[in-house]
Amino acid sequence: MALSKDELKANILEKALNGPKAQLYVKDFYACDPDAGPRDIKNAANDLVKEGKMTFWSSGSTTMYAAQGRAKDEEHR
Amino acid sequence: MPKHDTPLLDELESGPWPSFVTDLKRQAEKKPECFDILGQLELSYRDKVTHWKHGGIVGVFGYGGGIVGRYSDVPDQFPGVAHFHTVRLNQPSSMFYSSAKLRDICNLWEKYGSGMTNMHGSTGDLVLLGTTTPNLEPLFYDLTHDLNQDLGGSGSNLRTPSCCLGRARCEWGCYDTQNLCHSLTMHYQDEIHRPAFPYKFKMKFSGCPNDCVAAIARSDFAVIGTWRDDIRIDQAAVKGYLSGEFAPNAGAHSDKDWGKFDIKAEVLDLCPTGCMWMEGDSLKIDNSECTRCMHCLNVMPRALRPGLKQGATICVGAKAPILDGAQFATMTVPFIEVNPDTEFAEIIEVIEKIWDWWMEVGKNRERVGETIQRIGLPTFLKVMEITPTPQHVKEPRSNPYVFWQEDEVEGGFERDVIAYRKRNAQ
Repeated sequence: MALSKDELKANILEKALNGPKAQLYVKDFYACDPDAGPRDIKNAANDLVKEGKMTFWSSGSTTMYAAQGRAKDEEHR
Repeated sequence: MPKHDTPLLDELESGPWPSFVTDLKRQAEKKPECFDILGQLELSYRDKVTHWKHGGIVGVFGYGGGIVGRYSDVPDQFPGVAHFHTVRLNQPSSMFYSSAKLRDICNLWEKYGSGMTNMHGSTGDLVLLGTTTPNLEPLFYDLTHDLNQDLGGSGSNLRTPSCCLGRARCEWGCYDTQNLCHSLTMHYQDEIHRPAFPYKFKMKFSGCPNDCVAAIARSDFAVIGTWRDDIRIDQAAVKGYLSGEFAPNAGAHSDKDWGKFDIKAEVLDLCPTGCMWMEGDSLKIDNSECTRCMHCLNVMPRALRPGLKQGATICVGAKAPILDGAQFATMTVPFIEVNPDTEFAEIIEVIEKIWDWWMEVGKNRERVGETIQRIGLPTFLKVMEITPTPQHVKEPRSNPYVFWQEDEVEGGFERDVIAYRKRNAQ
């Protein structure tokens, strides 16, 4: 059975904060709830960005997610 | 900001054509950071590498697309372009602007950016080149509140949909491209402004098979107008072309004397399926063999018109050459009605079936056309619940392996895969 949205968001945030990869594709979050559909995962990850807990990192052609502070910051590299 | 010596770029001004270098020098009088663009580009020409760092975390609040971060990797030498972000604006359908709108956009960009634009990007956006991170939110506020414009798509989002001029100016439009493009743009605002997919997804809408927005070559989802009945023939107009009363190609190519119009050489013999012939001075077409190449309609527009049962063909999976080279879209839905009365529900159903499958099985940074290529068209057609037709088959004899499912064979069959593998294990 799929997790509740709050549980899913907590799993996604946990992975973004403590996973080995600082920046993740949306598909990397699919394992956070194998019973959830891709749209549910994408919506939960985007909600976390709206809440300021995660951020988008985009090359222009593709987009990744990162916990606040973990994204590669080109401006200060 | 100082001028830089740019001997290599200066050479580009020596040809007879307009030069972006000249434009940049002119713009630098008002926007000195343009001197730094020239300086950095000169350095790139010397070093033979780009000095732009792609990407970043720039954006405006609530949006995950529309702004592409660009930073200089030599900001100490060229501080004017230390940040030089690109902003994509969603163009109006068919790119119909008033000159007042264009002036307003340019004035806004002079205020917040470098003043340089690129009209248009490959997805049709108005591209505004070069601004700084602190300017993004004020620019976005004025853009949306004063100019009623929105950002376009970038990253792993649905990219800004685009369409041809369609019925606004063209007699060949088989459906209202502007209506469909605008409706889907509004319907999919979330997908345009926030990432949703394994990679980019582009939609383009052409009103007829001339495909003036190159949907079949440049979009993951191409909706190309077509008809399913017979080409309409005005035999009196055919005679007009034969007698020289009407110029072929509506007078295009008339800068050279090509001689008297020769319907055999210029139309019949160029038909790719050879489905046209003359009986006396009447033109005949075997419409069942027509592949909608549009050549005859283009040559004799007064005499030939698309049929009346109009709709669209949907092709899926074109892309530019990043991985595996460029590929054209594959014809997927041979004919679909484009019906504004249902708010295009039939087309939305097709789009979302593709997305559901691709989001599930597509790899990171894999376009839907590459997923189809990797997994196979038969599987894709099954997912789409489309019965294969001969037109889906590209190379009939190149693959001798045909796999049947149990329910596709009369009487079915039982197959125990586990036992089979056990039996054949090395």
